[in-house]
Amino acid sequence: MKTVANAAVLQQPALNKKKKNFQPANIVLWVLLSFLAVLQIFPLIWLLDFSLASSNEMFTSGLLIWPKQIRWDNYVSAFVDGHFLLYFRNSLFINVLAVVLVLLLSVMLSFACTRMHWKLSGLVKGLILLGIMIPIHATLLPNYVIYDRLHLTDTLWALLIPYIAFSLPQGLFLTSGFMESIPREIEEAAMIDGAGIYRILFQIITPMLKTSLVTVSIMTFLNNWNEFMMASTYLSSPKWKTLPFSVLEFTGMYSSNYAVQFAVMALTAAPMVIIYILLNKQITRGVAMGAVKG
Amino acid sequence: MKKAYSNKAIIFSLVFPGILVFIFAILAPICLSVYYGFTNFSGIGSYDMIGFKNYIELFKDEAFQVSLRNSFLLAVGFICIQHPLAIITAAVLDKLGRHAEGFFRCVYFLPNVISVAVIAYLWKFIYNPSFGLLNNIIKLFGGKGDFNWLGSGSAIWSVLVVLIWHGFGWGMLIYYTGIKNIDPSLYEAAAIDGATNRTTFLRITLPLMRPVIQVNVTLAIISALKQMETVYLLTNGGPGNETQFMANYLYKQAFSSFRYGYGNAISVIFIIVCILATQVLNRVFKQDEGVAA
Amino acid sequence: MKKLLSIALATSMALSLAACGAPASSTASSTAPAADSASSTASSAPAESAEPVTIKVFSNLPDRTTGQGLVEQTIFDSYMAANPNVTIECEELDDAAYKTKFKAYAAGSQMPDLVSVWGQPGFIDEVIDAGLLAELNPDDYKDYGFVNGSLDGFSADGKLYGLARNTDMAAFFYNAKIFEDNGWAVPTTYDELLALADKAKAAGVAAVSMDGADKWPLAVYLTDLMEKVDATGVMTKNHDAITGKDFSDPTYTKACELLQQATTAGLFQPGYETADYGTAKNLFTNGQAAMFYMGSWEMSMASSEDIPEDIRNNIKVFTMPTVEGGKGTATDISAWNGGGYSVTASGAQKEEAIKLLNYMFQPDQWTRIAWENGVCMSAQDFSKFATGSETQTQKDLMNIFAAATNLSGTPLNDMGTSQFKTVCEDSVQELAIGKIDAAAFLDKLTTVG
Repeated sequence: MKTVANAAVLQQPALNKKKKNFQPANIVLWVLLSFLAVLQIFPLIWLLDFSLASSNEMFTSGLLIWPKQIRWDNYVSAFVDGHFLLYFRNSLFINVLAVVLVLLLSVMLSFACTRMHWKLSGLVKGLILLGIMIPIHATLLPNYVIYDRLHLTDTLWALLIPYIAFSLPQGLFLTSGFMESIPREIEEAAMIDGAGIYRILFQIITPMLKTSLVTVSIMTFLNNWNEFMMASTYLSSPKWKTLPFSVLEFTGMYSSNYAVQFAVMALTAAPMVIIYILLNKQITRGVAMGAVKG
Repeated sequence: MKKAYSNKAIIFSLVFPGILVFIFAILAPICLSVYYGFTNFSGIGSYDMIGFKNYIELFKDEAFQVSLRNSFLLAVGFICIQHPLAIITAAVLDKLGRHAEGFFRCVYFLPNVISVAVIAYLWKFIYNPSFGLLNNIIKLFGGKGDFNWLGSGSAIWSVLVVLIWHGFGWGMLIYYTGIKNIDPSLYEAAAIDGATNRTTFLRITLPLMRPVIQVNVTLAIISALKQMETVYLLTNGGPGNETQFMANYLYKQAFSSFRYGYGNAISVIFIIVCILATQVLNRVFKQDEGVAA
Repeated sequence: MKKLLSIALATSMALSLAACGAPASSTASSTAPAADSASSTASSAPAESAEPVTIKVFSNLPDRTTGQGLVEQTIFDSYMAANPNVTIECEELDDAAYKTKFKAYAAGSQMPDLVSVWGQPGFIDEVIDAGLLAELNPDDYKDYGFVNGSLDGFSADGKLYGLARNTDMAAFFYNAKIFEDNGWAVPTTYDELLALADKAKAAGVAAVSMDGADKWPLAVYLTDLMEKVDATGVMTKNHDAITGKDFSDPTYTKACELLQQATTAGLFQPGYETADYGTAKNLFTNGQAAMFYMGSWEMSMASSEDIPEDIRNNIKVFTMPTVEGGKGTATDISAWNGGGYSVTASGAQKEEAIKLLNYMFQPDQWTRIAWENGVCMSAQDFSKFATGSETQTQKDLMNIFAAATNLSGTPLNDMGTSQFKTVCEDSVQELAIGKIDAAAFLDKLTTVG
């Protein structure tokens, strides 16, 4: 069922061919595929396993262990001392906000650059697209000086602004590519009905961009979710710290207790793993759009 | 109607917020970097303009050369190991169908959604010479199992493995969706002609995937140049500067050695290298197309 | 900047006046901000109807439940209890991250009020030169019992900018049970120490657990060896070598070679150059290594509940053994005053922070709590708190310190600029693993020095 649904999503109606003819070669194939799967997943299982053991058991040989006593309290320490809830909330809030603003700005920009008539449109678009090539960390040092002067360090803005700025070029790229393929007749009809530019953009065009917006959202979210260099340089109080800090702070706090460190890693990884498993189909589709459009 | 589309006020209102963010967060800092790159600013106190001194030093700086070499190695690793593996896996996966297809796709992609901070620390443990997973596996097969993965000589390869491992799912998924977009009637025609799987892959899949491959190779090279987080946590460029990357090196110079000016000079070169690399790649691919056509 | 500073000062002045009802006379002195340090008496009596004050602390002690972090937190808690209007907000990072973030703060304009510092040129000189630290009044600390010279590193041009937290000493912590079980004797010469490498291997453990990833312990080890080679004036020698860009003194080559011998002999655990602090410590505390080379503050291992009992009760200490042909004796040790605290000049709560600092170092605070909990030796006179019921580890360290005939002072890596520190630490690691030789190492130091 799943594959059929996916195929439909990917506009691939003709997938119901016979694919189940078992040959010896297929067994080799299965073994290789499974080996690759183990390679990708085993480190995570290892992580989970030792996060439930006690620290000394780390030093036993063997790949996985059956903990003498399942130490749920590792997770309690991780949850409480890792400020899990606060940091998770911050991460979610900042990332969702960044995604929403990136979507809004990209749609506005790409409409202005692909539809509206003005002299500088090509230049502006080209300039912003150049941003795809600019590494975010190259702005780490000068941005620190700027934010410090403007008293933005240790505020939400110190993260939000660079996160938006560095996702915007990609957003513009994807949405404008898509927008160009939308026939202009639709707008003309709306115009005759008396709709203004803003209404055309937000009520007619934007909904038609849905698939590319999903792609932009996923890419923006995944990129910024991982970021912590900016966060650790610009933030000092726990108020806006993001989820990676649970891990970063723990190595100092519990330097001698590996099991608790493992627990905090597993805990930090959990939200995204769960989100991914739940939204597997949508994410795959989102990435798919990105792949096709480049 | 044309009038509405050239209304200056509306254009301004649509473009201004985006441009503002762009200027504020990308353009202004770059200009500032260029400025500080010409100074000997330590980060605090006063400073002097010193012209191109930082840049001259940078070109002689061994650690910087190592950073460039490492980015190059990583790009090669992506292109020669990660991407071929990803394409082949994607092609195989495409033929599986049913639940297995979804399952493997999900498993392969999973490491990608896990935060880099977790990945880096996890691999630090996996590589640990005393109790790490890798040495334990070697012991299981009767080896000595005391290899120092992140030690001098092997460190860069160990770092590459992590990065290739972590990005594999992403590459696989993109190729997978690319393959899904190939018109299935082509495959059917090939099957009628009695083509083997291999010839279908070489004659149909690869050529049709060409644009996708080009884009992804470009992205891979850029991400190899931009590498920072994983290395910062895994080795911080050590031992010595063996696993140094540009982004990490500029951070180290600015905040550990207190050479803010020099760090900014690295930023400037860093940006130039990234833009140059993309331009060169675009050229190469364009030429390539011309030849192919 | 100036304007901001004066506003901050004025505010903090107003606040501190309100807080402790200082006599009018101190208002006059506020016109000379730099020379003025807060009234020395820490307000132990709760001030009535005081304005709420938030002191921002930036600390390098992230572990708040054991060791020095616990001591620091204990003092903060008791200070807040005694001064209900004061809230202490503490940001903590481990050493490496701390130093990076500190520099970011220093480059910016919003520094916390009370900060951890290291009273060593490699850290504090640039910070003092830039005028970031508030001047303290040395008279405040006349009765605090600071060990002679312990505040020198925190001073410049006769002015005091910080207080030393501890007297640090480099030492080999060893697992007496492993030694006993295998019939090993505590090494008295460097060769005997190196010989333990093979014996340890035979016994299935690592000889010395070394934190090589953080690099500075290797620099301390090198300085320790210099002390054994040359005994006197190591710190002066280092200072002259760095300022004069001349490392031709044979002591350097000799010490470098001795360090490399340790690797050749396999003294440190395999892969030590990638083992960070926690990893190195855990090897020792889990019985996987017979010795652990670290600073005296690790005496707290002996009283840590996290460490298995049969290990923590058997931790003893010896210092770097003598080297062949060296002038240093067994009692010439590597010790220095490193970590400490300063108040920042631009912090919003400068006066309140000074009061907190003064409170922390009242003799019955840091010194007593740290000693009684077996955490570390403070830079003040801690002997009066000796009870005789200390852990063996603590007693060993105290005895070694009491018997010391010569102290090395600040380790080599911390004697120059930040840039020197980075280069020195990077290359001492390369030296240790044999990637470069002594000549190449000294060459690098000469170029950067």
